[in-house]
Amino acid sequence: MNANESLSRVGPVLRTRGLKKEYGRGAGLVHALDGVELEVASGETLAVMGPSGCGKSTLLHLLGGLERPSAGEVWLAGRRVDQLSEKALARLRRHSIGFVFQAFHLMDELTAVENVELPALLAGSSPRAARRRAAELLERVGLTDRAEHLPSALSGGERQRVAVARALSNEPLIVLADEPTGNLDSASTLDVLRLLDSLRSSGQTLLIVTHDSRIAATADRLISMRDGAFVEETRLTHGTTGRLNELAGLES
Amino acid sequence: MPDAIGVSMREPSHGYQLRVVQEVLLALLAKEASHGYQLRARLQLALGPLADALNQGQVYVTLNRLEKADLVTSERVGQADRPDRKVYELTAAGKERLEEWLEDTSWPKPAPAEFHLKLVAAAAAELADPVRLVDAQRHALLAGLAAAQRAALGEPDGSVAGLLLEGVVLRLQADLRWLEACARYWNATKGRP
Amino acid sequence: MGRLLVVLRLAARDLRRRPAEAALLLLAIMAATTTLTLGLVLRGVTDKPYESTRAATAGPDVVASLSGDAFLDQPADLAALRALTDAPGVTDHSGPYPLIGVELNVDGVAGSRRTPSGDTIGGEAGAWAEGRDPAAAAVDQPELTQGGWVRDGGVVLEAGFADALELGVGDKITLGTRVCGLWIGGEPPDCRVAERRSFEVVGVAVTAAAKPYPNVCFGLFCPEFIGAVDRLAGGPPGEEPAADAEGPQEPVEPGLVWLTEANIRALAPTEAGLSHVVNLKLADPTDAPAFVNDRFPTSWSAPALQSWQDIRAGHDQLVKDTAEALRIGSWLLGLLAVAGVAVLVGGRMADQTRRVGLLKAVGGTPRLVAVVLLAEYMALALLAAAVGLAAGWLAAPLLADPGAGLVGGAGAPVLTISTVGVVTAVALGVAAVATFVPAIRAARTSTVHALADAARPPRRTPWLIAISARLPVPLLLGLRVAARRPRRVVWSAASIFIVVTGIVAVLAARAQFHQDAQLVGGTDPSTDRFNQVMLVITVSLVALAAVNAIAVAWATALDARHSSALARALGATPQQVSTGLSAAQVLPALVGAVLGIPGGLALFRALGGGGDGVTGPPLWQLLAVVPVTVLVVAALTTIPARLGARRPVAEILQSERA
Repeated sequence: MNANESLSRVGPVLRTRGLKKEYGRGAGLVHALDGVELEVASGETLAVMGPSGCGKSTLLHLLGGLERPSAGEVWLAGRRVDQLSEKALARLRRHSIGFVFQAFHLMDELTAVENVELPALLAGSSPRAARRRAAELLERVGLTDRAEHLPSALSGGERQRVAVARALSNEPLIVLADEPTGNLDSASTLDVLRLLDSLRSSGQTLLIVTHDSRIAATADRLISMRDGAFVEETRLTHGTTGRLNELAGLES
Repeated sequence: MPDAIGVSMREPSHGYQLRVVQEVLLALLAKEASHGYQLRARLQLALGPLADALNQGQVYVTLNRLEKADLVTSERVGQADRPDRKVYELTAAGKERLEEWLEDTSWPKPAPAEFHLKLVAAAAAELADPVRLVDAQRHALLAGLAAAQRAALGEPDGSVAGLLLEGVVLRLQADLRWLEACARYWNATKGRP
Repeated sequence: MGRLLVVLRLAARDLRRRPAEAALLLLAIMAATTTLTLGLVLRGVTDKPYESTRAATAGPDVVASLSGDAFLDQPADLAALRALTDAPGVTDHSGPYPLIGVELNVDGVAGSRRTPSGDTIGGEAGAWAEGRDPAAAAVDQPELTQGGWVRDGGVVLEAGFADALELGVGDKITLGTRVCGLWIGGEPPDCRVAERRSFEVVGVAVTAAAKPYPNVCFGLFCPEFIGAVDRLAGGPPGEEPAADAEGPQEPVEPGLVWLTEANIRALAPTEAGLSHVVNLKLADPTDAPAFVNDRFPTSWSAPALQSWQDIRAGHDQLVKDTAEALRIGSWLLGLLAVAGVAVLVGGRMADQTRRVGLLKAVGGTPRLVAVVLLAEYMALALLAAAVGLAAGWLAAPLLADPGAGLVGGAGAPVLTISTVGVVTAVALGVAAVATFVPAIRAARTSTVHALADAARPPRRTPWLIAISARLPVPLLLGLRVAARRPRRVVWSAASIFIVVTGIVAVLAARAQFHQDAQLVGGTDPSTDRFNQVMLVITVSLVALAAVNAIAVAWATALDARHSSALARALGATPQQVSTGLSAAQVLPALVGAVLGIPGGLALFRALGGGGDGVTGPPLWQLLAVVPVTVLVVAALTTIPARLGARRPVAEILQSERA
């Protein structure tokens, strides 16, 4: 895709500098984000955790261009994006960013495959190409037999998997997931968890905002947030099997 | 709880907690007599990826101890002086011990008190921010959770070792939930004198 | 009783929460009720002034006129007229007075002049001139509103005529008579001016003895006798007119003026060119129509009779067309109101369903729920009916001005019980039709569904979705937005269809009037009023349709806000989204406009238009209707669509459930 080729692939996919977001004014001023510095490398899965109200969803919205920061910079693949017009942001989202929402946000009147092909259609693909890609993606998430079902006929987990397929439609640089399992029961959570893990193994760059520790545990790197700022960061992917024995109660 | 015979819980070794291995071997012998290497293989199967740290000689050492305690008997088959040629069998006393163990419902004790006191002490002495301590501990547990989960995902469906890993994950999740509560509490009390 | 209170309280609270929507509904229904009231009330509004004019001028019960035959040089047989004055039932008479058709010119004004309605006429206007005594007559003595009665060299103008020509006491005019030769072989004859004299306007008066300008009519060439004229026997057999015989030219769209008898005779080219008129009073005025029918003319030399009821009808005609136009306009507005209300109600029902569920969950029956919903709209409809009745009642005198031609104003129009009943029924009907289906559906929704807010899932039309995939992005979005609510699309198209139908019919009527005016070369005070009313109706239709369009656009943007936000999150630009939201309305408007053209032509035809070869408005106007409508709709829907497309995406997605 030309748009992506023109963007740099060297260096971090996503970078922020001093990102701030404020709401209200005067006595009612709320610092939703207080100077966040972030980098996401290509192919990395980053998890952001924190209590509700800590600003993690706000962070995600700013990174996806769904809201404008009060201050600071956002760089996507070497290009500054926080100052772009709505039109340019829309184009950006078309080709570079995929979204997965807590509430799924599928169109109720479209079948699964019609939902998945929507971003491709919006990007100007021919209907046939869009449909083909959608079918591929549904196969990837294991929902080929559900392609012609409406969302109302799908379970929560299936809906979210359709949403993930949709997010992958235009081969985005990064997929942003906002509490992807927030509305799911534990069985569905497991399905989505497996899917996210497979995305990670295939090299997709992911940023997941979650309060579910299991989902966070699929990441390469974990950041904790509180009151609009990062407080702790850990690598999660260096071999820790030794610790595993301790945790299983097999060692003293 | 019956006394562990001749075994100290705090024995500093980098093998397993010997007690667990004892009872398990007894159980594995309940159905039929087995060679030492067979017992080791079945143990490895049950532990899956965690079996990696299974000390080579641990099983045989434990079998020796059990024999000394008259819970199992052994018979040499074939050539003498080669441990892997012994066939072990459960004694009546061993069976009794096994049954006691199986019926025992005592559960490994959780111990939140230690960490809890750590936070209280930090706050009282004003040496460290309890909230930061919680954060650090959370991340450590999450790293463990990540490892366990990765291992669990690697297991095929229906593997018995997967069940063990699931247990690790779920216990960690419970601990993490408590840690989140601690964070909330200590964050709220920050403002208070 | 308690339940009634609950219903009323719930209905009142709901209306208060959404004042803008309630106001829109009110406006829509009020437009229809006001015009309907006006249309119903205008009938018979000229009765009173005519009665008072009759009383003030000792108006006649029967007017009889007789013409001479100028081509055969035979004067009118006055014996026939005098015989009428002795007929049974006749108690009093005045006349016979001489009559001649004249051409009126305003001195000192060269060329053409503009009439109040803005039309241009030649420097002449037609009139019948009646010769009178300076002394007062027993029957039909016109009452002066300005100046004095006839004297030598002085002319008194009928008040409506004077008003139309903007003439008053002291103005100088010339009156002339024309004579024409015979019609030979279908060729119009040559005409020339026979006499022309200057006069001064000495007075302006009203009379009940003639129809108002421009329908003053004497002799056998009046509308009552058209058709019968062919069957009349001719004059004495064997007489042929000389080749160079000349006869007086009938005045065109005439008014009425009075001169002295001597002045009339001076203007008449020959005695045979004169007509005569006699005014009769009957013992029983209600007998006049029978009297007239008994004496229907059977030959050219018989008098032509008019009863006072005929004359009054002529005055009625002034407002009759107006009343008719208003009635038709009110139908159109009513239909438009139904469409508009239906869309608004449909939109409201969507957020009513959860409240419906709550009501049911706390023990309200489905019937109670439907009753509450209907109660709100009925209350609004009743209010609209009351306001419409009041507004129509107040506005009627403005439109019902009987013209300068009658004394006494129209007075307060009477709101009969039937008028009140009809208007109220129409208002309630509009509300009922529009709310019936949604109310029943809301009441039937199961409580669980209503609480889960799933009661109005969007429609799915697979083939539309497939087609839209092939279209450019804005049309893809627009088509899908429209497909979610097919009923709203139909109401939108219907709304535009009604407006365009009305506009095309009005344009056709205007074209016809222009045609007619060109043919006859005159002006018509009733046309002025008719044009004003047409304008008011057109403006109301357009305004209401515009309000409808904006309301629909707003409802659509609101309804589609989730999918709009989602589309933007997935990569659609705000321009694409707002164009799509506009397209969702422009496309149905296009359909409605295209269908409205034949609709308007059919309406025009159905209302009796289409004479004189005018089948519709000029082609350029017809061709312009569709693009103009589409552009207007696009413009109106742009702002709600833009606003709908610019709200922050994150906000919408956070607050909406999937």
